[in-house]
Amino acid sequence: MKRWLPALAMGGFLAVAALTAVVVLRPGPEPSAAERADVLARGLRCPDCQGLSVADSPTSSAQEIRRQIDELVAGGATDDEVHAHFVARYGQWILLAPTSPAAWIIPIAVVIAGAAVLGAWLLSRRRADPAPPSALTAAQRPRPPDEVEALDA
Amino acid sequence: MRGLRWLIVPLLVIPLGWLLFSGFGRDPREISSPLIGRAAPAWTLTSLDGETLSSEDLAGRPYVVNFWASWCIPACVDEHPVLAAAHEQYTDEVAIVGVLYNDASADAEGFLARYGDAGYPHLVDTDGRLAIEFGVTGPPETFFVDADGILRARQFGPLTDPLMSVHLSTILPSASR
Repeated sequence: MKRWLPALAMGGFLAVAALTAVVVLRPGPEPSAAERADVLARGLRCPDCQGLSVADSPTSSAQEIRRQIDELVAGGATDDEVHAHFVARYGQWILLAPTSPAAWIIPIAVVIAGAAVLGAWLLSRRRADPAPPSALTAAQRPRPPDEVEALDA
Repeated sequence: MRGLRWLIVPLLVIPLGWLLFSGFGRDPREISSPLIGRAAPAWTLTSLDGETLSSEDLAGRPYVVNFWASWCIPACVDEHPVLAAAHEQYTDEVAIVGVLYNDASADAEGFLARYGDAGYPHLVDTDGRLAIEFGVTGPPETFFVDADGILRARQFGPLTDPLMSVHLSTILPSASR
């Protein structure tokens, strides 16, 4: 029985992983126009607020942007087209999350490069200065008291 | 490799220091407008006087669009005389139009009665659509459109006389005070 235990555990793990993947990755129902508009509004910055999305802001600008999103979605615009509509007026600043993959890749690349440089430096340091063994001469070693030596004798 | 050891500190500190230091001098709300160099948005709005005015009416003439509000104090109060003086000096060459940003007409009229009405029209942008077309993030913001209808400059924050001269020179070569 013990022999089969790892195989059973692995099989169970794979089954759970496959089930999770199916649940997470299966395509859900097509979002309604209102749901799409809400998601788009959550991705746009309110122009006259501090750090709020258009969906979360009560200002008249945010209300008008939400109205325009509804109008564009109802007119058949894709998500990219809705983004482009507002980016043309405000620039990329209006998007709460950057669309360019460079914005995600560059920080990760910088961290990896930094770790590589640090690792290389630590390795070279270890090779260059191997820790010397603490070799004490007989004269440097602490001597036991004379009484102890006398007992040994 | 030993030389690299001495490079690590400047390689990390200098770019980071530069990034932080350059950020201190910037207003995080000031963003560059993608509209610069492109055709200015077209508009048709009603003024406080009840007259309908459109960008078509200003075709072939440089104009300045100033988004302001009566609650925008002190910035809009500070720049008000600058706009009035420019209107007086360049009245034949440049049109100036004010646009109310998220403001009630009665409050705007009260502001003009208190601080002076220079005589140029003030448009009522009820739903804020024109502000969105221009990518306004808050008053005061001013846009400078040349005679060909191309947006040439944008002032984020209150105008001063020197700033007005600089921006006017982008749409009116003769403007140098």
